[in-house]
Amino acid sequence: MSHGLSVFKPDGSLGFSTADVTWQTVAQFTVAANATVSNTYSEAAGMTVIAQRQLVNVPPSAQEDYAPNVVVSNNSQTITVSPQSGLSSSECIIHVLAQDT
Amino acid sequence: MAYGFEAKNDSGNVIINDTIENLHFIGKATRGSSSAGYGDFPNYSGSNDTLDGRCIWTYTITCSGTPVAFIKPADYARWHAIIKQSVSSTTWTFEVMISGTSTSNPPEVYCFVNADDVPTSSETFGMLVYKSDGTTTTFDSRRQPLAITGGGTAVSPSDPTNGSGLPGTTNNASWNASSNDHDFRSSNQYNDYSDSNINTSNTMFACPSLAQGVYSRVINGYKCSDLSWPQSGCQPHWSTAWWWVMYRAAFRLRSGYFDAGWTNYQAGFWFQSTYSGSGWFNGGGGGYSSGNRPYENKVINLQSNAYIIADSSRYD
Repeated sequence: MSHGLSVFKPDGSLGFSTADVTWQTVAQFTVAANATVSNTYSEAAGMTVIAQRQLVNVPPSAQEDYAPNVVVSNNSQTITVSPQSGLSSSECIIHVLAQDT
Repeated sequence: MAYGFEAKNDSGNVIINDTIENLHFIGKATRGSSSAGYGDFPNYSGSNDTLDGRCIWTYTITCSGTPVAFIKPADYARWHAIIKQSVSSTTWTFEVMISGTSTSNPPEVYCFVNADDVPTSSETFGMLVYKSDGTTTTFDSRRQPLAITGGGTAVSPSDPTNGSGLPGTTNNASWNASSNDHDFRSSNQYNDYSDSNINTSNTMFACPSLAQGVYSRVINGYKCSDLSWPQSGCQPHWSTAWWWVMYRAAFRLRSGYFDAGWTNYQAGFWFQSTYSGSGWFNGGGGGYSSGNRPYENKVINLQSNAYIIADSSRYD
């Protein structure tokens, strides 16, 4: 490239550059079963934000294992995690990722 | 900004700055034990006995922070999903489900964490970016930053079964009817998402499995036997055959596509045959069962989940 930034691995090969695209990580947190959590991250304002949900436990043998809902609001700054309407929710890991688009 | 650091890519979008941490590669998780099964219905042989089967591998990695895990298939024809992620102290455990019962060709799991939780590097050259507090790292060139090639949101179809429509219940079938007429495999049930960067040699993906479902086929049989003289009337006979399968959402990488589908996680078969004990005949019957159906027929958590695509060869 004629301009930009390249960073190299210790072996001299290219590791990352301004030709790349990425998701940055705003936060990771674990939400307890049946809990509601709302966090605000001002640094994510205006960015494209996704929240990956990963269930902590495999489904037990006799129980419905509901993932919580995630809502991104407030110009992508606020992440609200809560049980699906009228349902219990299972413990869940939330990865909040942001991308400038 | 008045001060700090910001790098934009060729599209003019920020990819490094001093406020949000980048993800960095910390290594491949260590593969442990596996369990395989459910290539067919336990204790049943007959039509539509075959299921996709699944193998579950356990992987572990020790790190600060919460890792984002990418699956790099060894066999791209199989469906993959992380169905569990848990932590004990700083050791993370992943359970990865793969379609099929073969324990050959397990995938690799590439793990990334936020910059400030990346293990300290002994390298004395490179570039570090800190937040304004001067201590929290947002970027460390000595550890390989995550670069992606694609992504989006994906959801599996609402019907996990290849059979036409969802399986149901039939009453008044013949006594002891126990031939399954529904195809519970999932190989044709998926939504595909186009992505020209996906190949079947080094593409990897991150997409936790959220959706799960249970479906059953039930056949209730009945027969009325005429009682012989000096008895009269009917001696009723009942039977129930019950096949059930539990599914988890799973994903497949094809050249140019990310597929969101299903793989069976558990399965069982239950059969019971009885007849009335009235008259001169003694009643009786028998049956057998395998496993417990986790819950009533339904699909739950059928919501779009974010997926990320990347090139594993950058981290080998």
